[in-house]
Amino acid sequence: MGIPIESSPPPGWEREGIDSLLGLFPPGRLSEIVGPRSSGASSLLLALVARITTSGGGQVAFVDGMDALDPASAAATGADLSALLWVRCGGRLRVALHAADLLVRCPGFALVVLDLDELGPVPASAHLRLQRAVEGSDTILMVRSARHREGTPASLVLATRRLAPRWMGLRPLTRLAGLRSEVSIFRSRPSVIRPGNGEGSRWTLDWTL
Amino acid sequence: MTRIACLLAVPEAASSALLAVALAHSPRVEDGGGGRVYLDASGLEGLFGDEPRLAARLREAARAAGVESRVGVAESRIAALAAARLGSGETVVEPGGDAAYLASAPLSLLDLPEETATRLTRWGIRTLGGLAALPTAGLFERLGGTGVRLQRLARGEDPRPLGSCRPLPLFEESASCEWGLETLEPVVVQLRELAGRVCARLGAAGLAADGFEWICRLGDGRVHEGALTPAVPITGADALGGLLGLALEARPPGGVVVALTFRARPVRAEPAQESLTDRSRPAPRQLAAVLNRLVALVGADAIGAPALLDSHRSDAIALAAYHPHPGPLASRERETSRAPAPLWGEGGVRGEGPVLALRRLRPPAPASVTLASGRPVAVRSSRLTGRIVAGVGPWRASGEWWSPRRWLQDEWDVELADGTLCRLAHDGSTWHLEGIYD
Repeated sequence: MGIPIESSPPPGWEREGIDSLLGLFPPGRLSEIVGPRSSGASSLLLALVARITTSGGGQVAFVDGMDALDPASAAATGADLSALLWVRCGGRLRVALHAADLLVRCPGFALVVLDLDELGPVPASAHLRLQRAVEGSDTILMVRSARHREGTPASLVLATRRLAPRWMGLRPLTRLAGLRSEVSIFRSRPSVIRPGNGEGSRWTLDWTL
Repeated sequence: MTRIACLLAVPEAASSALLAVALAHSPRVEDGGGGRVYLDASGLEGLFGDEPRLAARLREAARAAGVESRVGVAESRIAALAAARLGSGETVVEPGGDAAYLASAPLSLLDLPEETATRLTRWGIRTLGGLAALPTAGLFERLGGTGVRLQRLARGEDPRPLGSCRPLPLFEESASCEWGLETLEPVVVQLRELAGRVCARLGAAGLAADGFEWICRLGDGRVHEGALTPAVPITGADALGGLLGLALEARPPGGVVVALTFRARPVRAEPAQESLTDRSRPAPRQLAAVLNRLVALVGADAIGAPALLDSHRSDAIALAAYHPHPGPLASRERETSRAPAPLWGEGGVRGEGPVLALRRLRPPAPASVTLASGRPVAVRSSRLTGRIVAGVGPWRASGEWWSPRRWLQDEWDVELADGTLCRLAHDGSTWHLEGIYD
């Protein structure tokens, strides 16, 4: 067993920081959150779901490629579960892509999430088809995957990186308190974020458990 | 003078059979809910005889329909209910005798709010007669208009006329196929035609339908039954036609079809005012079509709104029906009462900051864990393998010890050498990887 990485109380987080981050995702476009395991990517995704479902009652469709969504985490984030349509695809990539395609073409959802994580590889044509489907609508299409694939038509790609877990207590450790991670803009189209106005920005976020 | 009969189910539980019995005897019927049906008993002497005979006939008809009941006849609903509930089975309160009959009835007959019932009990009021005898002005000062209304009921004065309850007509169409339909396509065409006729009748009656059923009689004598429940009540034949095609493709009749019957479950579509400030929601018809396609794609048990069950068991969740459209208040309350109780409540936030999410592994991945001094130091599973560099636990959870489904497990939060944070669980015999913090 190793040495505790951090034993201090969890530092505060900047609401303005995460709010500005969640406000970046453009409607009518495909966006991506990419990050390896335990990098905070899913937490960021659920924070976006919570923001959409609680601000004005937006409806969210969550296509869960790996059947990995934890509704308890979503509820703890503040998401309104009754405004969430959960489609469990059981690890079937083609089914997940088909389901996302159907939902993106149904107007009225404020956010359609395609959570693929390590499922793949996704054909480039599938990304293109989804991008075409969402164009001109008010829907945010969000794809969450473990790694970014070159050639996708995503207008905004956010990358998450694990910084350090936070533990409570001195040795022995008493509790996992959370995770500190970094979110950066990996790629964005000029129409989404103007050059020099946010691109390359980094956010350090403390996720609490 | 109006005479009202109360038909009360024993035990008191909602029954559609009672309603049918009442409608067979009187044109004016009100469904009181909870197994109570009130009907206008005035002027029925020519048909069924005097009131004692009517009461006996109603009770006998209910028994024939499979419902045990009691009947009370009086001038007001409350007195008729008291007669049904407190009487011997068939009780008739003489005209003008409601107040006297109610005098000894308990206060509970009024279905009082708990606060009002407590106040009246503290005043020493136990019966309707006691409430009726209170000075009206003083009662108004203390309980407002509600108090006066309750006192009038206690005196057998119920000015509210009987509500109307009409049975919804049966929306059903049938067709026989002279030559038998061997392939799916003509079956779908025929069924769509029947659906079109049913929808036209629904539209003419100003109704929608929240459920559709069809029965296909096959050439070999078997019967194929299918059902479709749209996400929202619909009445349009176009939308229904598409859904029928999908449903039949997913579950074809499996034989030569010689006769078809199609029926709809009618509902009154209550208009609901959308908020001008809320975000837009999916249009009901489009959503119904998309949901049915998704059901055909992933299965009906893999789609819905997630709901947390009231249990400490790991991953205790259920899928509730997804209804994005706000209905009238009553129907929303009904839905809420059916849905599993959320653990934290809708929109509840556990902490102040952004919450670290767990990605579940479903089913949990069996893991091989190496222990040192009772603590895990290495894990090997199909999803993750590595040395454990930090960890906390065990967090013991258990439940349902009173039932055969009892469970117990120890949970550990651990960090692997590559930085992955995950949750391990040990149920006493085997280790599992429950999820990954992300």
